[in-house]
Amino acid sequence: MKNILFIMLTGFLIAGCNEKKEEVKQCCNTKNEQKVTKDLIDQLPGTSVYQLDGDWTSHKGKPLKLNQLTGKPVVLTMIFTHCEYACPMMVNDLKMIEQEFSSQERNEFNFVLVSFDYVRDKQERLESYAVSQGLDDNWILLHGGESQVKELSVTLNISYEMLENGSFSHTNRKLVLDKQGRIVYSQNGLQTNSEPVVEAIRSLL
Amino acid sequence: MLFKKELAFLVMLCFVVSSVSSQNKGMVLIPSGSYKPFIKGKVDEIQVDSFWIDEKSVTNAEFSTFVDANPSWSREEIKRLFADEDYLSHWATDLFNQDSFLVGNAPVVNVSWFAAKAYCEWQGKRLPMLSEWEYAASALPQGSVDSSSLQEIIANWYSRRTLSENDTVPHYKNEFGIWDMHGKIWEWVYDFNSVQSNEDSRNMEETPEGLFCGSASLNASDASDYSTFIRFAFRGSLKGHFTVRKLGFRCVKTK
Repeated sequence: MKNILFIMLTGFLIAGCNEKKEEVKQCCNTKNEQKVTKDLIDQLPGTSVYQLDGDWTSHKGKPLKLNQLTGKPVVLTMIFTHCEYACPMMVNDLKMIEQEFSSQERNEFNFVLVSFDYVRDKQERLESYAVSQGLDDNWILLHGGESQVKELSVTLNISYEMLENGSFSHTNRKLVLDKQGRIVYSQNGLQTNSEPVVEAIRSLL
Repeated sequence: MLFKKELAFLVMLCFVVSSVSSQNKGMVLIPSGSYKPFIKGKVDEIQVDSFWIDEKSVTNAEFSTFVDANPSWSREEIKRLFADEDYLSHWATDLFNQDSFLVGNAPVVNVSWFAAKAYCEWQGKRLPMLSEWEYAASALPQGSVDSSSLQEIIANWYSRRTLSENDTVPHYKNEFGIWDMHGKIWEWVYDFNSVQSNEDSRNMEETPEGLFCGSASLNASDASDYSTFIRFAFRGSLKGHFTVRKLGFRCVKTK
C-alpha cells in the first residue's frame, strides 16, 4: 500500500513539474521574469482572488493569469457582450466611476471585465467591443474557459445561468480589489451610487 | 479465418468492456430522462442526458488519498480563498490516518466547493450539475410504491438531532441503484450558484439573498414540498469556500 502511494506521489510530483515547465514557457521570457512571477504568487495573501490559477486571454490577445494583475487596484465585474440591456448599463456605471479620476490617476488602476460567454466572447469579439465602447488602455477584457468562469463567479459570489438562447441571467456586481487581489468593496445592482466605489479605489491609490 | 476474426473481435470487445467497467468502478450509469423542476421556469420538464454517478458519496478515506497526493489541499496548506477555517476540522490530524480514525467509510464533510471540484477532477470526473443531481435524487427507494417513502426518509432525517460525522450505515438505495441521495448529508453541485428563479437581471437594486425567498418561492412547482424548499434554500445560502458539517459530495462523469 505504501509503495503504491509512493509511486502515485512520485508520478504526481513529476506531472506537477511538467505542468510548471509548460506554464513558464507560456507566460515568461527570461529567468528573471520567472522569479518575479513566482515571488508574486508566494507573496499573495490566502484570500486573494489572484490565487485562482486559470489561463485567460485578454481582448488584445495576451495570455494572462490573474496574478499578473497584481500591483494595481482593480475594479472587476462580469458581463457578456451580446447582453443588450444590463451589461451596457454596467459598463456605463464603470465609465462614470472613471470620470471621477484625473487622467494621471486613471493610470494607477485597472478596470477588468470578465465575460460569462466562453463560447461567443472570444478575443476578437472582446476587442471590437472595447473599441465600440471606447475603452482606454486601463480596461482589460478577459475571455476564459467554462471552468475558469465558473470558479471566478463562485469566488466573486456572482450567480449566473446560461439560458437556452445562449445569453446569461446573472447578478450585476462590481468589486474593488486591492493591489494584491483582495476584495475590499463590492456593490450589487445597476445605476448605483458610484461614490463608495470611487472612495474604495481612492483609498488604495 | 472467419473464426479467427470473430475471436479477435470478441477479445477486443471483452477488453473494451472490462476497461470501461474498471474506469467507472463504483459508479452507476443513470439513463437519460427528465424530471419536473422544482422552480418553475420556461419548461415543465428538464431533460437530462445519461451520465455516470458515484454509487456513494466520497468518503473520508478516499478524500485523504487525494489530500496526501495534493498537499496544497491539506488543512495546513489550503488557501483561505478555497476553504474556510473549518475545512476538514473533523479530522484528528492534518493528514487523515486510517489506523487512528475509525470512520474512514463515512462520507467526507467539511469540504468546500473548490476542494470537491478539485477532487473530482483529480479522479477524471466532475461535480454533478444541479439538474443531474436532482434527477438522480428524484428516484424512489428500491421497492417503494409511492413518493411517501422518500418524503418519510427526508422528514426523519431533518428531525434527527444527532450531528455525527461517523454515519457509516447506508440508509437506502434508490431505483437507479445509488445510495443515500437523501437522508445522510447534503451534497455540492457544480452550478450551486446558478440563478434559480425568474429574477430579471435588469433589476436596478438586486438582493441575491432575496432570489430564493422572494420570487423563487412564488414559482415553486409544488409549494407543499417543504424538504425541497429547504434543499434549495440551503444551496442558495452557500459560498464556494464554505465548509459545513453535513455537506459532502459525490462525482459524476459524462457518458
